[in-house]
Amino acid sequence: MPDAPADLPEAASRRFESRAFTSGLTVPDFAACLQSGLRPVGFVQGFCVMQWSWYGMGSPYNRGLSPYGGGGGYSETYQCPHGYVSAEHRSWGRNYEQSWVEQAWSQGFGLAYGRMLEEATAVGAHGVIGVIDTSDRLSDLGVVEFHVRGTAVTVDGVPAPRGGQPWTTYLAGQRLTKLVEAGYAPVSVAAAVASVRVWAYCITEYLLGGGGSAWGGQQSSAEVTQVAAARTAARQLAREHVRAQLGGDSLHGAEMVVSEREVGEGDQEIQCLLRGNRVRRFKEFDPVAVPHPTVRLS
Amino acid sequence: MTLDRPTGGALPIDSPGEMRRAVEALAGPPGRGTKPMTSDLSIDEELLLHSIGWEPVELVTGASIFSVPMGVWNWGQGEITSASTAFAGAFAGAIDRIHRETTRAGGHGVVGVHVETSVQRHHIDVTLLGTAVRPVGGHKGAATPFVSDLGARDFTVLHVSGWEPTGLAVGAGFVYAPRRSMGTAMQQKSQNVELTNFTEAMYSARESAMERMQASALALRGSGVVDVTVNEGPIDFARHAIGFTAWGTAVRLAGDQHRTIEPSMVVPLDDSQVAFDASTLG
Repeated sequence: MPDAPADLPEAASRRFESRAFTSGLTVPDFAACLQSGLRPVGFVQGFCVMQWSWYGMGSPYNRGLSPYGGGGGYSETYQCPHGYVSAEHRSWGRNYEQSWVEQAWSQGFGLAYGRMLEEATAVGAHGVIGVIDTSDRLSDLGVVEFHVRGTAVTVDGVPAPRGGQPWTTYLAGQRLTKLVEAGYAPVSVAAAVASVRVWAYCITEYLLGGGGSAWGGQQSSAEVTQVAAARTAARQLAREHVRAQLGGDSLHGAEMVVSEREVGEGDQEIQCLLRGNRVRRFKEFDPVAVPHPTVRLS
Repeated sequence: MTLDRPTGGALPIDSPGEMRRAVEALAGPPGRGTKPMTSDLSIDEELLLHSIGWEPVELVTGASIFSVPMGVWNWGQGEITSASTAFAGAFAGAIDRIHRETTRAGGHGVVGVHVETSVQRHHIDVTLLGTAVRPVGGHKGAATPFVSDLGARDFTVLHVSGWEPTGLAVGAGFVYAPRRSMGTAMQQKSQNVELTNFTEAMYSARESAMERMQASALALRGSGVVDVTVNEGPIDFARHAIGFTAWGTAVRLAGDQHRTIEPSMVVPLDDSQVAFDASTLG
């Protein structure tokens, strides 16, 4: 077994040196992994607690003074068609990517993930299967806990790893076996968050408040284009952020989770988390015949 | 449904050997000359698609939100046309955006679309998320790709039966339940009696929605709709208004006639007694 990293808790190093393995696998997944030549060696975990500051550029406490400029990334400006009405009138609005929120999420997730990999390396694993990741708010003050865990495994008949990162996957058991059988090798889990902020301009504010899109109130429904564009952008950005992690490989079994938070009248924040399995094709698909339908008699 | 080899044999079981090959391949370069795909399909679904000559291309989405003018949920009579129009508009906007993403990605259609709708007092939201697919090796995206909420398994069965999806057919109806007169309300106060104003409103909303869904299927050149999802009932924030929404996949025959599939009957030999019920630590 390689030397444990220096910053692992002392108790963890001692635990890894014992001869009993630990695993987060169900019994069927455990059996399927043994069948595929995988040996569980340890239930490995990584934690990170992050505090996010809301006082950066574009925070809800600091509506921008200008419709121009920004921190890079996706941005769209919406100009009011009414001209000057009053100082309170929202004469412009903006959708923009909150790159500092995305970076904070990546940092928290990356640190927890890295610590899990560190433990997997310490137990001499080739890979980590059945990865589960969660991020929960610890308090109302923008403190978020990241927890990434999975079962470290070695592969029968493959020499002990000499450095390098263990591969990882959200899959385990028969789903992992079928993935490999289909010609995909698991490379790593891939996850990213896209965060888009909407500063509503007057038309968006009126429409979401039940008003018309024209001055004086037009009583018919109309598309709220600013919000529709922001929602579409958040989803596309999440996909592009994950795609940037693929390095020529593919994303399999993706899951998208979207949350929205209303900040003010028409103002909102859209957060889109996309995660999945980065996989690499190592052989062509074997020809599979058209499936034969069956009917259960029980 | 089971997956068989062309020879009828079972899948090879040299799993440890395949696992070793997979792990050793990680030392090599990524991407064997193919464009990386993104997909939310399971491996079973991907294998099923491949069995009929299709493959996933890209995870695609579409979203739209339409406003509902102030006051339309107040008491009234007949259909709440602004709400029905907003629902149809939001669906059309979301479908238009997912079409464009699919065409750009080189897809010929989208399967397994998750449809999310939300009816709020001042806006109606629709979001769609699914995996764009195409015949294996196809490159150019279809100008008007189909959008279907059928999963890959249902898409495969449909294909094998000689049918094809043409798009997502949608209909919605929002109707006021008219007020009862003071006299009628007093008369019915102590009776077990049908409130015909509500029953009729439900029928009215249903007819509007179903008629629109069928018209939408015909506009998509479908001959019918399968796997219809229906949501109906009083609106949360306006209990005197009834909403009925329906959507499903419009389908048509791909060839001359339906192909009969003849399923085999199987008796599973699984032990019905659950010996282990451990769950993944989470």
